[in-house]
Amino acid sequence: MLMNAGIPILSIILWLPALGALLLMFVPGEQVARQRQIALIVSVVAFVLSGLLPLGFIPNAEGAAPGWTGIFGFMQQGSTATLPDMLFVDQVAWIPSFGINYLVGVDGISLWMVVLTTFLTPVALLSTWHSIKTQARAFQVLMLLLETAMLGVFVAQDLFLFYVFWEFSLVPMAFMIGIWGSGNRIYAAVKFFLYTFAGSVLMLMAIIALAIIHRNALAAEDAGFRMTFNVMRIMEDLRNGSLALDTNVARLMFGAFFLAFAIKVPMWPFHTWLPDAHVEAPTAGSVILAGVLLKMGTYGLIRFNLMLFPEVSRWAAPAIAILAIIGIIYGAIVAFAQSDMKKLVAYSSVSHMGFIVLGIFALNPEGISGAILQMVNHGLSTGALFVAVGIIYERRHTRELAEFGGLWTTMPIYGGLTLVMVLSSAGLPGLNGFVGEFTMMQGAYLSPDLGWQFLAFAVIGVILAAVYLMRMFGRAFMGPVDNPENAHLPDLDRVELASLVVPLVPIVIIGFLPNLFFAGMQGSVAEVVQHIVVGVAGQ
Amino acid sequence: MLNLIWLIPLLPMLGFLVNALGVWRVRDDAQRERLAGYIASGAVVLSFLVALVAFFQLGALPGEERRAGVVLWEWMGTGRFHIPFGFLFDPLSAVMVLLVTGVSSIIHIYSIGYMHGDSRVVRYFAYLNLFVAMMLCLVMADNLLLLFLGWEGVGLCSFLLIGHWYDKKEGNFGRGVATPAAAKAFIVNRIGDAAMLLAMMALFFQFETLTFFHEGAGFLETAEHMQVSSIVSFLLLIGVTGKSAQIPLFVWLPDAMAGPTPVSALIHAATMVTAGVYLIARTHVIFTDATLGWVTWVGAITALLAATAAVAQMDIKKVLAYSTVSQLGYMVAAAGMGAYAVAIFHLLTHGVFKALLFLGSGSVIHGTHETQDMRKMGGLRRHMPVTYWTYLVGAGALAGIFPLAGFWSKDEILAHAWTEGQFLIFVILVVASLATAFYMGRQIAMVFWGNQRDHTYHAHESGQMMTIPLIVLAVGSLLAGAMNLPGRHALTHWLEPVLHTHPHEFGVANWVLAMVMTLLAVGSAFVGWRYYTTNEVKIDAKVKDPLYHYTGDLWELLEEAWFFDAFYEKMAVVPGFRSLAAFLATVFDKEGIDGAVNGVGQFFTHLSSQVRSFQSGYMRTYALVFLVGVIVVVGYF
Repeated sequence: MLMNAGIPILSIILWLPALGALLLMFVPGEQVARQRQIALIVSVVAFVLSGLLPLGFIPNAEGAAPGWTGIFGFMQQGSTATLPDMLFVDQVAWIPSFGINYLVGVDGISLWMVVLTTFLTPVALLSTWHSIKTQARAFQVLMLLLETAMLGVFVAQDLFLFYVFWEFSLVPMAFMIGIWGSGNRIYAAVKFFLYTFAGSVLMLMAIIALAIIHRNALAAEDAGFRMTFNVMRIMEDLRNGSLALDTNVARLMFGAFFLAFAIKVPMWPFHTWLPDAHVEAPTAGSVILAGVLLKMGTYGLIRFNLMLFPEVSRWAAPAIAILAIIGIIYGAIVAFAQSDMKKLVAYSSVSHMGFIVLGIFALNPEGISGAILQMVNHGLSTGALFVAVGIIYERRHTRELAEFGGLWTTMPIYGGLTLVMVLSSAGLPGLNGFVGEFTMMQGAYLSPDLGWQFLAFAVIGVILAAVYLMRMFGRAFMGPVDNPENAHLPDLDRVELASLVVPLVPIVIIGFLPNLFFAGMQGSVAEVVQHIVVGVAGQ
Repeated sequence: MLNLIWLIPLLPMLGFLVNALGVWRVRDDAQRERLAGYIASGAVVLSFLVALVAFFQLGALPGEERRAGVVLWEWMGTGRFHIPFGFLFDPLSAVMVLLVTGVSSIIHIYSIGYMHGDSRVVRYFAYLNLFVAMMLCLVMADNLLLLFLGWEGVGLCSFLLIGHWYDKKEGNFGRGVATPAAAKAFIVNRIGDAAMLLAMMALFFQFETLTFFHEGAGFLETAEHMQVSSIVSFLLLIGVTGKSAQIPLFVWLPDAMAGPTPVSALIHAATMVTAGVYLIARTHVIFTDATLGWVTWVGAITALLAATAAVAQMDIKKVLAYSTVSQLGYMVAAAGMGAYAVAIFHLLTHGVFKALLFLGSGSVIHGTHETQDMRKMGGLRRHMPVTYWTYLVGAGALAGIFPLAGFWSKDEILAHAWTEGQFLIFVILVVASLATAFYMGRQIAMVFWGNQRDHTYHAHESGQMMTIPLIVLAVGSLLAGAMNLPGRHALTHWLEPVLHTHPHEFGVANWVLAMVMTLLAVGSAFVGWRYYTTNEVKIDAKVKDPLYHYTGDLWELLEEAWFFDAFYEKMAVVPGFRSLAAFLATVFDKEGIDGAVNGVGQFFTHLSSQVRSFQSGYMRTYALVFLVGVIVVVGYF
């Protein structure tokens, strides 16, 4: 019903934050409270609207008309009914001479990324409610622009449009680090910008090359065929054989896309920009960076590497899985050695994102859907951990583990909530992290390309996660209060409480009812996998 | 009631939620404490009553139909991977549920007295309720992944409760510092859990399900006519060595004594640590002979080493901790020899008498104002008569003295080893049981006999809230053997549909064995008691144990529990990991990887300063370069 009403709901969600940013320009600079309220309201409205999207993806008992009734039906029986692959599509010609369109749409793979983005943006705004004092309006504007850019990355179905959003998302984040960061912020901002930019330049070349090759291939049969960047069209032509890529060309393109995404994820050994960026970024920046920006990399791997180059994906899977596993173990060991809590959480991301890449390159429904769910999970738990670190940084202006001890005594609510986040990150069953982690590990185990040898190493990461997280929690939150500066810290205020409790809700829900989230992705994931299997069989 | 079995874990879960979300807000201290204790205890007692009803309803069914299952919803479902959120209530689950809820009820009530005045008492009861819920989830799960949820959940509660006094700077003697002990328990268990994860993935790979029983399609049912790799069961064994504190992962349990004593009784003696034994019994179908050999030896050697270590401990709770490790070794060894019902029998009796001993030691600690060093005790039987007599019953049961509970179950294990022809195992277990009797005799002498050696405290008997649970458990320790008396073997028959084990014929040889063992136990306990009562003057906190005179440095080997912990923490594992982490973080990552990245950056900065000369500013140069570029691009495609 929603899709047929003719309301461009997806475009509204996409541009609402940007409009909010525009509106903020007209609010006088000194009215900081009002600016905050406007930004928060806009982002919450965007979240509420995005809550409509999953309705399109949940089949009811008959697998037909979607709706809330379907959710309960799904929970009871676990439907596998397939659904239309791209919903809420909006299309407007943009640069017709090059076949570039404003083309957005959502499928089961982007669905939860969109919801994650709209969910975490208000959380991030709450997390810096009081701490951003200089140029507050600019900060809110950048946050909202960033939201539009990230949403654009997840919904763009035109390669060029995708690239524009992809690069544009760098700008607000780099400014955020550069302006509101701490000590070494300029270095971190430049490094963040240049490193990820360097990766995506190759991707741009691959995008243009793909469009040109596609044009040439189709123009050979239909002289009137014009160039297009429509990724759905290109994918269709790849699948029906109208467009056949030379193996070496396909591998080169795969490599170009992969490099851009691997830097973003970040996969070992392209990870060193991440700790620098995190340490310098303000809390909201870290939340968004870890929560959403990294997911752009893993999302890209599924959307472009797997969907455009299924044969190459399969060919490269073991090598990429090895990199992923090195990242899992390496990230965990280096996280253990950190004395700065934020750096510790940053390196834990390297480890956790390694699991996600491993799940993706299992190339089966279990691995990929587990990985998508884990992207959401990592966004929630790591985002919340950054919020937690930010809260204590506001009070003490340090994040050194040695400075703390016994925080659970002085700030019991804060300690309890942080513990839940730590456990979620460590993959404790009953919370969200376990579901994603186990599903994608199971997927990798079932995968004919990977198998148990990979898992035997991956589970070391599970052990080490407990080691570094317990070290952090034990040092900072348990033990006696031996530093007098910690003795009289106030517990959470309302805003801080909200910024930790809000992510807690989906963390618990996913832990027990992950099917609510698995449901929407089934159709799209099955399609991805099907073409990998068919593509390889057809060779 | 059998379709309402989900109430059993739900009730303590609700208790946890009410305490965690509501009760801590109550402002009045006394009222808050009372509410927390009553809500928590009430939830568990209710759960026990529901379990009791369900148990009798299950018993009313004919033997082969005794299996009730409720699937609440599908927990995870994607691709081929489908895991239900469902509970199972069969004879094995039933006895575990009764033990868990029964002992928990008693310990909850005891805790109301023991934790009186504690500053975080609401948290304590909330965790305790959460623990019971998770333990029930563990023993009632109808699939391995949900079992793992309980498995990890109880591990979390163990962590939280060991760390309950996390802010104490220096504990009493032997109590150590709670925070590292809690973290250690969590991390060491994680090693076992990682093996469990691999085992589950492997099982799913083979069977495409992790459900135990599902109308013939559960993996335990299909596995009966399918070969399962020994590696899978070996991985499960690693998981067991973590949770059930076996060699080589037992090192966390002695440290876990930093937690409040009722916690030690409930989690680290009666219930959680037996989860590994339950796991073996539940999944025994997939254990191959090769793995079972390992299981037996791991159990037997643990039983012996831990029993000898218990001899040399000075902390009243550490003795019991090593004793628990040792008794778990008996259970694991029994399971390894295929005597699953006997292992469960010992699990149940041990759950009762070890809970009694721990609660008794808690009463002692309480009555001596937080003294845990046995060298500072002595003569307490005069001040604490109820504690003394009940403790004596527990000690007798542990030592295996006729007709107390431990006698029946331990004797069955020994008898099984004998009849199965496992003579070496038999000898090891007999020696371990001699050590057991000895250290209990020693402990009774040091704590309750002689004269009080430290007068900084005024010893007194504990209140009724604590002594009544002791009496209840003492009665239990007297009678628990009756559930599986030779000849009738009620428990073995009850478990037969699940465990497929048949009771041994109890012949004359068994009677002889039983009599010899009792005599040996009594003798060994007497020697222990006698030596430490007559040498009482030599017991002093400042000097070595009187036995040191005879054993020499061997004593330190025992005191340090054969140096496992020292090897991990001081010599190899932990220091090695720390240096590796430091190297990777400060050298490899910073100088190596990031150095290379920055090097590339500097290279381009350098290059651009050279290239700058091309930026002549002449329009025609740019135009030329542009033109060449266009020709190249267009020409290529």
